[in-house]
Amino acid sequence: MLAALIKKELLALTRDVHGMAALFLMPVIFIIVMSLALKDVYHPPKRTLPYAIDARDSGKAARSLADAWARDHGPAQPLPTDWSDQLQAGQLKYVLVLEPGLSEELELPAFPTQARMRLWTDPGLDGNQFNTLRSEAAGLAGELKARSALAQTDGAPPPTDASMQAIVLAERHAGSGPRPTAVQQNVPAWLVFGMFFVVASLAGLFVQERSTGTLARLHSLGVPRALLLTSKALPYLGVNAVQAMLMLAVGVWVMPRIGGDALSLHGIHWGALAVAISAVSLAAVGLALVLACAVRSHAQASAVGPILNVLMAAVGGIMVPAFVMPAFMQRLAAWSPMNWGLEALLTVLLRGGDISATWPHVSKLAAFAALTWLLAIVLFRKSTR
Amino acid sequence: MLAIDDLGYRYPGASQTALAGVTLRALRGSVLGLLGPNGAGKTTLISHLAGLIPVQRGAITVDGVPLANARRANPARIAVAPQEYAFYPMLTVAENLACFAAAARLHGGRKRERIEACLAVAQLERFAGTRAERLSGGLKRRLNLAIALLPEPELLLFDEPTVGVDPQSRAFILEAIRSLARQGAAVIYTSHYMEEIEAIADHVVIIDHGRVLRDGLLKTLLSDGPLTVSVPADGVDVGILSRFGAVENKSTKLQVRLADGQSPVTVLAALESAGVPVHQAEVGRDNLEQLFMALTRRSLRDE
Repeated sequence: MLAALIKKELLALTRDVHGMAALFLMPVIFIIVMSLALKDVYHPPKRTLPYAIDARDSGKAARSLADAWARDHGPAQPLPTDWSDQLQAGQLKYVLVLEPGLSEELELPAFPTQARMRLWTDPGLDGNQFNTLRSEAAGLAGELKARSALAQTDGAPPPTDASMQAIVLAERHAGSGPRPTAVQQNVPAWLVFGMFFVVASLAGLFVQERSTGTLARLHSLGVPRALLLTSKALPYLGVNAVQAMLMLAVGVWVMPRIGGDALSLHGIHWGALAVAISAVSLAAVGLALVLACAVRSHAQASAVGPILNVLMAAVGGIMVPAFVMPAFMQRLAAWSPMNWGLEALLTVLLRGGDISATWPHVSKLAAFAALTWLLAIVLFRKSTR
Repeated sequence: MLAIDDLGYRYPGASQTALAGVTLRALRGSVLGLLGPNGAGKTTLISHLAGLIPVQRGAITVDGVPLANARRANPARIAVAPQEYAFYPMLTVAENLACFAAAARLHGGRKRERIEACLAVAQLERFAGTRAERLSGGLKRRLNLAIALLPEPELLLFDEPTVGVDPQSRAFILEAIRSLARQGAAVIYTSHYMEEIEAIADHVVIIDHGRVLRDGLLKTLLSDGPLTVSVPADGVDVGILSRFGAVENKSTKLQVRLADGQSPVTVLAALESAGVPVHQAEVGRDNLEQLFMALTRRSLRDE
């Protein structure tokens, strides 16, 4: 009996083109589009941003600064006369204005008290890029000022390859785990999003069964409620497993073929990955069952599920990473099951974590799953009375 | 076979009872026509038989065994064919039958045999591979019927099984249901179409506001009704007719429902003596719809 009911559920799902698209195509498209769009998020394109320098100081130190900037950021474009308009239009990303007196300032053994450089940027420039450019400009000026100060002492001048930059070694720490890339970030994010989309498919058929009396008919034939619920849950746990394999495959094999980074599964803890995916799946199907039992019409089923998913994704760091959110939004994100799922998967795929490392997130998902499954049983008993 | 005694039910939070002391019997080899306007309590009664709501007051027994116990022992013994298309539109006819056959605990050769038999009864063999959503209204009704027959139930309850079907499919469905009773099943049949009940039922129960208003053999109910005399309204004084019973104006005709002790002959004689020539007159009895209207004082299709 269970096999026949599962077969019915799978047949219904595979013949629902929109449902299949939402479950499989949509997350794949999101992974591809977002990974390509955010390809450089871990490697900011500082050498490819078009810029110009307005050198109003022709002193030696100012020329040195312009040269050093070009070494790190690529050659400057000739300064157009309408550079202000081009900045406004985004054709130039920034213009570095070297004000008169800059050279003199860089050679003084004292901290500056007024601006000698101005950084004008495209109004749409990303905040992180803006801050990076400002810090780089200040850092370069500081470096040149230090060189000048050192040159005025009796000691030997510093070697040309020595720099204050050498004092900091910065690396993303992932232990033995994979190198962070946009793909490594986006695959888990949109996988979690896609897995929670079983809500719409499961609830849609459930509402139809209830409104047409099909569920009552099955019940009157003596099909136990537990079996009815199980026959709904198992296929969608399977769907989640297929989704996970598909999304990982897209990351590993498709992304590098279309110009993105490849998802690296090298060195990850496979057991932790399986546990994390299972926990997300149990939570997603639990939520789907609750909504399926709670909604009363097709309109509710087709609206509530997707809206809830999008909200959970927006709040939970799927669409916008939680770490860029302000503190109160980060606290809110910590309440989204999608955030727990995302963090569990990122722990495995981005941080090389094992099962114990995923436990804080997996335990929340497991508790959420237990609660939703229990609630679904209660609601299902009520709805079939 | 099925005995319902003094059945009462009130939905949680409802101010009025949905069923109040309903008593009826459904016998093997017989069709019980269940009539009642919307809100009469038919759905509540059907929900009891489908095992969807528990008995609050009174008793429902199947061959002397409480319904809940009988259903527990063999849920497929009682089948309900609901008013809605209670199957999966995206599945084919054969897939639907296979799904419900498995739900009715049919397996292997027995399952195949019952699916083939039900396809044949409903004459759906040609459509076995067709998705249910692509069937016409009449074919969908036949699929609803076929699914109900899968476990060979002893008691079948059909809730408005011919709504929205063409006359041919309706005749087919009525004959199929009638033959189920002939083969020994107990059938309960609800419909808004009085002529269907008159055509198919042996026994009729009329309920309204959760109570049984009339319960009896169809032929007895029809013969028990008062005689009526209808004459053309033109030139006839209603006052003359009203001496013999209640008069109803039916467009171009006046119909008098004769009171006890009155006969059509005296009505016609009175008209003749009043100088009203009677060229045409109809004498008859109430049909089921008129009986129903008289009992419930509202149309079946009223909300």
